Amino acid sequence: MTTTLVVAPVLVALVTSITCIFVRFNPRVQRACSIVGVVGYSAAVFALLARVWPADTLAYQVGNWPAPYGITLVADPLSGFMLALTAVVAPLTLVYSVRHLKPPGQRVSYHTLFHFLLVGATGAFLTGDLFNLFVWFEVTLIASYGLVAFYSDSDGTLAATRYVVLNLVGSSLMLLAVGGLYGVTGTLNMADMARWLAAASPAEATPVLGLSLLLLAVFGLKAGLVPFQWWVPSAYAAAPAPAAAMLAGVAKKVGVYAIIRVGFVVFAAADPTFTFGGLAGDLFAAYGPVLFALAGASILVGGLAALDRPTFEETLAYSSIGQVGFIVLPLAVAAAVPTLRTAGVAAALVYALNHALAKPLLFLVGGIVEDATGTTELDVLGGLAGRSPTLAGVFLVGALSLVGIPPLAGFFGKLLVFRTAALGDAAVALGVAVLGAVLTIAYVSRTWNRAFWGERTDVVASMTAPDPVRLAVVVAFAGCIVAVGVGFAPVYGLAEAAGHVATGAGRDAYIRAVLGGGVA
Amino acid sequence: MTGDAEVVLALALGVLFAAGTFLVLRRDLVRVVFGVLVLSQATNVYLITMGGIGGVAPILGHGGETTDPLVQALVLTAVVIGFATTALLLVLVYRTYQEHGSIDLDDIQGAVR
Repeated sequence: MTTTLVVAPVLVALVTSITCIFVRFNPRVQRACSIVGVVGYSAAVFALLARVWPADTLAYQVGNWPAPYGITLVADPLSGFMLALTAVVAPLTLVYSVRHLKPPGQRVSYHTLFHFLLVGATGAFLTGDLFNLFVWFEVTLIASYGLVAFYSDSDGTLAATRYVVLNLVGSSLMLLAVGGLYGVTGTLNMADMARWLAAASPAEATPVLGLSLLLLAVFGLKAGLVPFQWWVPSAYAAAPAPAAAMLAGVAKKVGVYAIIRVGFVVFAAADPTFTFGGLAGDLFAAYGPVLFALAGASILVGGLAALDRPTFEETLAYSSIGQVGFIVLPLAVAAAVPTLRTAGVAAALVYALNHALAKPLLFLVGGIVEDATGTTELDVLGGLAGRSPTLAGVFLVGALSLVGIPPLAGFFGKLLVFRTAALGDAAVALGVAVLGAVLTIAYVSRTWNRAFWGERTDVVASMTAPDPVRLAVVVAFAGCIVAVGVGFAPVYGLAEAAGHVATGAGRDAYIRAVLGGGVA
Repeated sequence: MTGDAEVVLALALGVLFAAGTFLVLRRDLVRVVFGVLVLSQATNVYLITMGGIGGVAPILGHGGETTDPLVQALVLTAVVIGFATTALLLVLVYRTYQEHGSIDLDDIQGAVR
């Protein structure tokens, strides 16, 4: 049996996106291609997931160049988890997009950009090579530049310019870090680098600390963590609702994934007797406080800022900063407490899944509201619940999942984050998480009270009925949130298998699969 | 000889990064673009120095110690990506100018607020 399947999701998305360029003169064919392509993508991802389930690692050596000399694509439960999340969000969002965007916009670029975003994210989830990760980041980013600037209006151009400049500086920093790491370790292959770090003496490994933290800053920028968060609100507010859903649901998770993969799999392999300045113990121990500062600040800044935003999508954008903080918080605890590595990574993944379902749902609800009423100003809206009970119900599911109410997916996300913090005796982390949860309740209920409850305002009274197809998409998202919450055992099983790669044994298995294998 | 060249390169890199950072922090959007360009080129030069600059061309059988060809391949990739993104950025700056009638970030943001 070959491992060629690993490359299938990337290829399907790539072929679809290029096909979408060539069939653009026939919008109907283009839409059909795009939807068939995304369904094929999901099928490829789940076929791959079935191969790595419950805890297998597949390595595909591109061009038959053996690792560490060639580029290796690796599918393990960690990649599988992120891919599965993408494969659920992408088709639903695309179906929504087809109904949401005006035909000329779809024809020119939307479908191509959408699938290129998938290509980039998928490649980033699969690659086992640090420089290749940079290239996939760029692919994701270039597609997302197009999506942010999609409407090309006065807000869109400014937001996109800001986003591009920030990410170009980020890319330069990433290249610096990658080049430096290559200079120090002599390899770009992640498995090989982990092996080198495990064998290196503390003196040899010292430069890696600074370079790896530089890399972490870049990943933080992609994930939109404080203090790199300023691009988030303007970019999400400027992008079309389904594009914002993809950026928040998938593109941000690429940054989170990179923190887990490069931090917990590669850098955590360094010799535990490492000492540098005041830092003793693990080289990776330096990550604990740094990640905690990023996560804690994100939770507080995102939560506080979301409290008084004037519009629906700005509230969601700031909320997204806070929620990524919640994803990274268990990682911070796990970095500091080696015994919690598996639990911490699993908690982060479950929370990421919750956020990847709930946030697109809320953005898409915002899109429906904007389309039906012509506005998302919370001051102007009111009484939507009476006008469209389905929409209100769906919003409530997404909002309660962000808050963490059982039996929704968010309950387990919050539970695992709190559990990791408690097990790690991280009182401050626990306090920040509780405060963040309170802030989440506050801004979610504010949005609910302003938009859905209260007097029915003029714009709501005169609004058109929501499009049934788009309504069906958000209902499907709500269904997924409930399904993950009710049937949580297999999801957690996969998350825990994914977290295993952050332990010594899991890392060894990963290294063996990449360097020992070759093309089976 | 190689040592001297490396010192010169290190100094040049320092100057480039300083200039790039300075330009990125300007209010004028075109200068920001120049800053981004200088930063990315500085990064490319830095990558080249990572591979060593003392050896001969990395062709099999050329004899002698070769420089590392991998970093050169990396730089080639980075140059291509940088070219595309810079072109896109210039278009965006032009569009921003069309939409806002200014490339001064203070003016634009003041008007947006």
